[in-house]
Amino acid sequence: MMRDDPIRRLPMALSALVALALAVIPLPGAVDVFRPDLLVLVVFYWSIEAPRAGGLTLAFMSGLALDVINGVVLGQHALALTLMSAWTTHLRLRLRVFSLLSQSLTIFALLTGYQFILFWIDGATGNPVTSFSRWFAPVVGAIIWPLLAGVLGRLNER
Amino acid sequence: MVAFRNSDPSGRTSGLLLRCVLYSLLALGLIIVDKRYDHLGKIRRWLSIVAYPAQVAVESPFAGWHWFRESVSTRDALREDNARLQAALRLAQFKLQRYEALEAETVRLRALRTNTGEVATRFVIGDIMDVDLDAFRERVLVDKGAHDGIFVGQAVLDAGGVFGQVARVEELTSEVILISDPAHAIPVQINRNGLRTIAVGTGDTSRLKLPYLPTSADVVVGDLLVTSGLGGGFPAGYPVGTVAAVKRDAAQSLADVDVRPAAALDRSRELMLAWLRPSEVLPPAPAAPAASPSPAATPSSPGTAAAHAAAAPAAKSAKSPAAKPPGGRTP
Repeated sequence: MMRDDPIRRLPMALSALVALALAVIPLPGAVDVFRPDLLVLVVFYWSIEAPRAGGLTLAFMSGLALDVINGVVLGQHALALTLMSAWTTHLRLRLRVFSLLSQSLTIFALLTGYQFILFWIDGATGNPVTSFSRWFAPVVGAIIWPLLAGVLGRLNER
Repeated sequence: MVAFRNSDPSGRTSGLLLRCVLYSLLALGLIIVDKRYDHLGKIRRWLSIVAYPAQVAVESPFAGWHWFRESVSTRDALREDNARLQAALRLAQFKLQRYEALEAETVRLRALRTNTGEVATRFVIGDIMDVDLDAFRERVLVDKGAHDGIFVGQAVLDAGGVFGQVARVEELTSEVILISDPAHAIPVQINRNGLRTIAVGTGDTSRLKLPYLPTSADVVVGDLLVTSGLGGGFPAGYPVGTVAAVKRDAAQSLADVDVRPAAALDRSRELMLAWLRPSEVLPPAPAAPAASPSPAATPSSPGTAAAHAAAAPAAKSAKSPAAKPPGGRTP
């Protein structure tokens, strides 16, 4: 099933690692709430571009890494990222022919769904974050999506 | 239009649903096991060791920049620093002269009153790592962990006062929750009149709240708040903050009191992790726990033994602050 995939695995892992590092790099407090979920965007990109190269495994592993680094209950980001990346894979054929604006809007919906699952698990495990600023990240994520997809597409052509 | 290269977009993603359900169930299982039972501590620690190099890698440019700035600082700046530090040291030594006598006196008085309150017996200095944990919670990562004997609930201080407490311990790092986190509360008392209350975080590093003081309470702007030692989490008598604003609304039964934290919550880089009781000192510590040579223990040996013996039951009864009048004898 995955015979031609090893070539594509390297940019996948590399981009995920860079996104993970950017997720913990310190930012000033005022800017911090606007930090987009880069790793999530990267996982979405690979779910669209190479669904057979193990996008779902990448999603699960990335989610687990986010759980450990953020220090939240283990499995929270993993669950959210798995569900949303599966949905992205399901939508990928439509996403490919969408205009940039429609793509960004769809990505916004997916990111909001991701945040909602996190929000829900936060509440269910007894430490809710009710601050409104947590909903800024999907907006910023949707805005930078065309840029990120362009960069990753360039990386993938090498 | 973003170009997707894959020339085989219609390829079947066989078993997408199956794998999605499988991974989701796995994640749900992890959440439940991690939340309900505490069996995942080992796994989490192991995973955190894997994550540690990434965190160090992210931090290293910042550490390098600090090192570079220190290396190229001019001679004038160094001399200025030196003079300032010596002045500070003189002041500190001057204060220290009274400190030992005062501490001995405190221990004697506590023994008389059989009251709670412990003197911290051991400190470890930890550095805050330049790593952001969560934008919505007031937490920092410190470069000391289970390896150094850090435990959950340990009190954390900085040069100005109380900083927070340890919320999570990994093998090489630990996570400290700041006193300004909305989920954190700390028992305090007003230094001027001994009034006890609870300071709650606001999510803003420059502000705490005292939400449980009646409008008639004797609190004025400038009052120093210190830890009361009730609850046994924090050592007694360390500064928490000063009262910055008091708003009394006749229509409300509770006053609205703002507190400015004494610790530099947003500026400190070095923290002290404190051990309160000799029993909490780990075996590999320099001395055996029984003969722990705390500076407080040396001056008056008969009184101290009584104080430590009394501290254990008193700490338990102190869980309910109202139940224990000051100076009351423990049963």
